[in-house]
Amino acid sequence: MIEGNRGKDLPFLKGIRVIALTWVWAGPWMGAVLADMGAEVIKIETNQRLDHQRITRILEDPGKEFSQKPDINHGLFNITNRGVKSCTLNLKQPEGVEIFKKLVKISDIVITNLSPRVMPGWGLDYTRLKEIKPDIILVSLPAFGSTGPDKDYVSYASTIEAAGGLSASFGYPGEEPVLSGTYPGDPIGSMYGVFSVLAALNYRSITGRGQHVDVAQSESVASLIPEVTMEYVINGRIRPRMGNRDEIMAPHACYPCKGEDKWVAIAVSNDVEWRALCNVMNNPEWTKDEKFSDQFSRWQNQDELNKLIATWTKDCTHYEVMHKLQKAGVAAGASLNIEEAINDPHIKERGVFIEQTHPVAGKTIVYRSPWTSALTASHDPAPCLGEHNDYVFNKLLGISEKEIDQLIDKKVIY
Amino acid sequence: MFYNVLNGVKAIEYGNLISAPFCAKMLADIGTEVIKIEKPERGDDSRRLEPFLQDIQHGAERSGLFQYLNMNKLGITLNPETATGKKMFMELLKRADIFIENNPPARMKRLGLSYEFVKRINPHIVMTSITPFGQTGPYRDYKGCELVTTHMGVVGNISTREGDVSKEPIKYPAHLFSFQAGLSAAAGTLGAFYHQRVTGSGVQLDVSEQESVIQNLNAATARYSYAKQIISRTDVLSVAPSHILPCKDGYIYNALAEEHQWWRFVEVMGHPDWADNELFKDATSRAKYWDALKPLLLEWTMQYTVEEIYRTSQEKGIPIGAVRTADQVLKDKQMAAREFFIEMKHPGNGKRQYPGVPYLFSDINREEPAAAPSLGQHNEEIYCERLGYTRNDLDKFREAGVI
Repeated sequence: MIEGNRGKDLPFLKGIRVIALTWVWAGPWMGAVLADMGAEVIKIETNQRLDHQRITRILEDPGKEFSQKPDINHGLFNITNRGVKSCTLNLKQPEGVEIFKKLVKISDIVITNLSPRVMPGWGLDYTRLKEIKPDIILVSLPAFGSTGPDKDYVSYASTIEAAGGLSASFGYPGEEPVLSGTYPGDPIGSMYGVFSVLAALNYRSITGRGQHVDVAQSESVASLIPEVTMEYVINGRIRPRMGNRDEIMAPHACYPCKGEDKWVAIAVSNDVEWRALCNVMNNPEWTKDEKFSDQFSRWQNQDELNKLIATWTKDCTHYEVMHKLQKAGVAAGASLNIEEAINDPHIKERGVFIEQTHPVAGKTIVYRSPWTSALTASHDPAPCLGEHNDYVFNKLLGISEKEIDQLIDKKVIY
Repeated sequence: MFYNVLNGVKAIEYGNLISAPFCAKMLADIGTEVIKIEKPERGDDSRRLEPFLQDIQHGAERSGLFQYLNMNKLGITLNPETATGKKMFMELLKRADIFIENNPPARMKRLGLSYEFVKRINPHIVMTSITPFGQTGPYRDYKGCELVTTHMGVVGNISTREGDVSKEPIKYPAHLFSFQAGLSAAAGTLGAFYHQRVTGSGVQLDVSEQESVIQNLNAATARYSYAKQIISRTDVLSVAPSHILPCKDGYIYNALAEEHQWWRFVEVMGHPDWADNELFKDATSRAKYWDALKPLLLEWTMQYTVEEIYRTSQEKGIPIGAVRTADQVLKDKQMAAREFFIEMKHPGNGKRQYPGVPYLFSDINREEPAAAPSLGQHNEEIYCERLGYTRNDLDKFREAGVI
């Protein structure tokens, strides 16, 4: 399968087939990134229990009627499942499990973020998968891991962030912890999942052997904020909630700008940048005050400093401040909202957001993986439920149309 | 390393601070030989980032953050601004499979280290370049850092919910998204490396920290795409409870999105009379009357500890989270059962606990990780034993500011 392609510039994972038992966010995003790399990702779904994101209402527009039809209302689903194929297979039925095993035989990788008890419950643990295909790669992405005393604890991204030490450290200085607004705990797990898939795939290409890699999402979060636990290990202290503050840099905050709820982030890391900032502000008298004369004194007096800088920013737009400061060599960025980001000239030129036409939902905006290369695959829209049943059951597995009809009647293909 | 997955694979890291060093660490953790190139004398700037043992920075070897970011690597010093240094850099790249860096694109071009030059001396190399805004586009030369790229990637603007419009939007703690960029880059690099093994061709992977932040925007993008709504940090949650609530000794994350979860939690609370109030009949209504509901919940939660509420609820399958502080994360029995935290000895900081890796390989034995290199620790090994220079040469290189 691979040999004939030698020397040709193909997407990274051309010819690699992935079976995805994924739902909500962390699992599907792992599949979408692998699809971006050119893998064929087949998502197994079932009407028995639809992916939350297919039925989570996103249309808050009161003019629009909410229907239970899963293809129309699945705004979140269409973003996190773009580029993958969908077939419906009911694994609660033994015949469904047998068909799944046939699919494993012709695949390279199985990815899942279902609870760790689910696949073994269907008789589909790693040992069994290995009997079916000796070099199969299984990557599981449970909240707390597939081993250990709390492995069956239930969670959302928010509670995973809490377990990993993120929530307790998140908030304004001296105040209570705040709610997580974007739930990074999930996509962080996804990327660890992709990393694990590709580590195992490279290992297979070196040794010929498969692998089960089990990624704990709570540990994934903890591994990206080592400062939190290490502060305690090294100095016995709990890191306080710091808002936008840095340990060394000041100014290091968001400043109000012209317009409603518009802000610009400014970070100054040394005296050269501080002088550049003063110049852009036209050197008001207060900048010459001794209490702002070096990095340490600026840090000590940062609350007062921030108020003074705000007197300058409030009459400019966030973009004006950003461009002026960046041209002067100071790190500054407009605090963009989603609409501004989608229309931003830089983000547009790099093609980060992509407008697709979904066969049912219509115009849909998605975003690609966080990198580009000469070899990125094309981006297909997310699948409708069971859109690729014929492809998977008939073309790949050779099940006749008549048999397929019978399997549909028996709610095996369901 | 933690697992010997990529035995014999060689990478060069020319990185600073977090994103590229973390990307290279992830490859080193799975057996890649990573040679980290640092600038002579000062080294990587993360050597001067907290936490330091007893808060004393004292030289280049006491940053816990640096030691975490650079475990399992070999470390050398080299200045590619000098002609000899540049030549040695190229010799190292010739022998490498992977090159990871996070320098400004203009600087790499000036040094003759951008991909167009590198591929001429090693067409098979996978070159991963991580920058705040990527290698192309009008902001390619703009400066970034955790604060700036988080806000330019929208997450800064919507990091919280039910926020106060008069307060500035805040970033997530520590360097979360610089780390996430390094993590994403490591995943991408392994994809490109697999392609290199199969086809023999190299490629440059252009990783943008801003785009790494954007991958967190599924809800914001969906709402904008289908309802033209712009999510704001002041938005009130549409279902409740999905909130952080104080209890006797800390906080719980009370995330009960589904109706049956709420009713099971009501039972855990001993089914107080107010639970049957019409105002609290479903998640939407509970959100609407949250100000009335919250004090009633607090009356109960404040009587119990985090552990009591967490364990009792989870045993009934209710997805309540314990808001763990650092000390609690470190002694968490679940993470301990998976041996997530590891102990490592470093000459600067002694024997300490560090976060390990969040994955377990089923059929490969886990190994002991190696401590991060001191500044220039492997100069002799790399320059003399690998590249064939003499010790006398090294002295001259030092004098000339090359290493």
